[in-house]
Amino acid sequence: MLRSNPGLALCILIALAAICFALFSGDPYYVQVVIWVFANAVLAVTLRFVLLIGELNIATAAFFGIGAYATAVASTIYDLPFFISLLAAPVIAGLVSALFGWITLRTKGPYFLLISFAFTEIVRLFYTKSEFLGGNSGMIGMFPPMVLNDYYPAIAITLLAAILFGLYLTERSNLGRVFKAIQNNEDIPRSVGLNVIGLKILCFVIASTAVGLAGGVHAYTNSVIAPADFTFFVAVLALAYVKIGGEGHIIGPIIGAATLTLAGQFLHSFGPYENIFYGAIIIGVLLLMPGGIIGLGKGFIGSSTVRRDPH
Amino acid sequence: MTSSETTMHSSDTGTAAGKVLLKAERLERKFGGLTAVADFSFELREGEILGLIGPNGAGKSTTFNLISGFMPPTSGQLFFLDENITSKNATYISRKGLIRTFQHESLLSEMSVADNIIIATTHRLKTTAARQEKMRKIAGLTGLENYLDVPAGSLPHGLQRMLSIAIALAAEPKVLCLDEPLTGLQGVEVSAALDLFEMIRSKLGITILLVEHNMRAVMRICDRILVLNHGRLLAAGTPEEVSQNELVIEAYLGHKK
Ligand SMILES: Nc1ncnc2c1ncn2[C@@H]1O[C@H](COP(=O)(O)OP(=O)(O)O)[C@@H](O)[C@H]1O
Ligand SMILES: [Mg+2]
Repeated sequence: MLRSNPGLALCILIALAAICFALFSGDPYYVQVVIWVFANAVLAVTLRFVLLIGELNIATAAFFGIGAYATAVASTIYDLPFFISLLAAPVIAGLVSALFGWITLRTKGPYFLLISFAFTEIVRLFYTKSEFLGGNSGMIGMFPPMVLNDYYPAIAITLLAAILFGLYLTERSNLGRVFKAIQNNEDIPRSVGLNVIGLKILCFVIASTAVGLAGGVHAYTNSVIAPADFTFFVAVLALAYVKIGGEGHIIGPIIGAATLTLAGQFLHSFGPYENIFYGAIIIGVLLLMPGGIIGLGKGFIGSSTVRRDPH
Repeated sequence: MTSSETTMHSSDTGTAAGKVLLKAERLERKFGGLTAVADFSFELREGEILGLIGPNGAGKSTTFNLISGFMPPTSGQLFFLDENITSKNATYISRKGLIRTFQHESLLSEMSVADNIIIATTHRLKTTAARQEKMRKIAGLTGLENYLDVPAGSLPHGLQRMLSIAIALAAEPKVLCLDEPLTGLQGVEVSAALDLFEMIRSKLGITILLVEHNMRAVMRICDRILVLNHGRLLAAGTPEEVSQNELVIEAYLGHKK
């Protein structure tokens, strides 16, 4: 696939070089930025993953938070070991999303979008009201074990990259084809024996489990989490990453997340004007490049934006 | 008579009409105040091509939605392969072997021809190789083998109709329900499609329920014809019987005289 796709291969190479630079530079700030890029890429890619079945999933922010809180509770309240606390994130996010999807994905129309928005805000309010979860100030003290401390950034990046790669493989599999068919015209898959509602729930659970794990990684990366980290705005930003990178291929949201996260680091220096610049970039890109960055590079990236399976 | 009695009786006679595969009893469907299908009973027998005709709005597509589980009937009963499927959903019924096509939006317009067909093999075949093989075979049967990578939405109209049949065939139906498959086809395409239907019945052993407006085609290919009018069964019989039926001529063919 990479051989037929020099543009994509080059992108991956640049990314790998950047990661190596960050990890070996020894500067914790660079390391932090690389992890942010990957975490934001997972947010964007999981948002796009549910777009495959035609649903805009604001709750991707909620499940990022549920994963983070699951890990925080497991590690700071129950003192569970590092990897088990991390594992709690995708497991809890997956279970909650299965129930949420089972209830909400039966209806057609804009309901899912609205309910996923409401759910995100309700879960966040719940954190602020829950003393157990630290209320407004959130939870603190999620540290990787001493022996792993030096390796934690590498572990975090590997996990996040593995999530991205796993979602990429899923999209390329027959399951990904079925998800796209559901978006295109769900009566057709239904008429040939596919359980469309079950498949929609599956798509949603896969994305939520993935973003839940990213939430767990986020908890250990930051050591501090608070309800304000998981508002619906997280999903709005993820949507911006998707739109700016381009949604025709999974590499789009990854490029979008990298571009905006890095731009955000420079814009910090503008202080209170940061968000204005941020907004201007987003609007500018959306107006000037309707296909996103990968839309611009279509000739360059070549076949990566249009799927051509070897039939 | 129960459905099993019917089955035994018909297999005793051993005529062209085989056992009853699909049976509708007093089917009714209302949309608010409108009754789209009313008191409609019929049997589909193994190996036949049964026509379902009637003016626009007669309730033909609604009947398809009812028998395929896309919509529940307001009242009445449905039996498929000796099982009561009245309250079963579309996934269940299509897995059991009743596959319907759609009059409108009958394919995945944004996906390639190959992907359209592969989607339909997904439930029955579990390996990529088996799905590919099946897809190629079906594409060959329906004349789509040279268009595998083309997005379905940009196929010429006639090939789009063929693709919707290919999708249905790839799902391995026992009963194939075609909703106006000939609409918009040119003369040559019509006779090619009729040859295909005949082949589907005789070589593949698939029983066909055909909704179609092209009268000449229906008369030529169907063994029996049901005529719906305002949701009710107006007449049933062989093409000759139906075309000579006074009520049918008046309600349906009248304006052509
Ligand atoms: N989903 C629906 N909601 C409301 N009315 C419908 C619906 N589907 C069909 N109808 C109505 O039922 C009647 C029969 O329609 P249909 O079965 O599509 O007819 P045909 O396929 O014979 O042309 C028409 O009056 C149509 O307007
Ligand atoms: Mg119709």
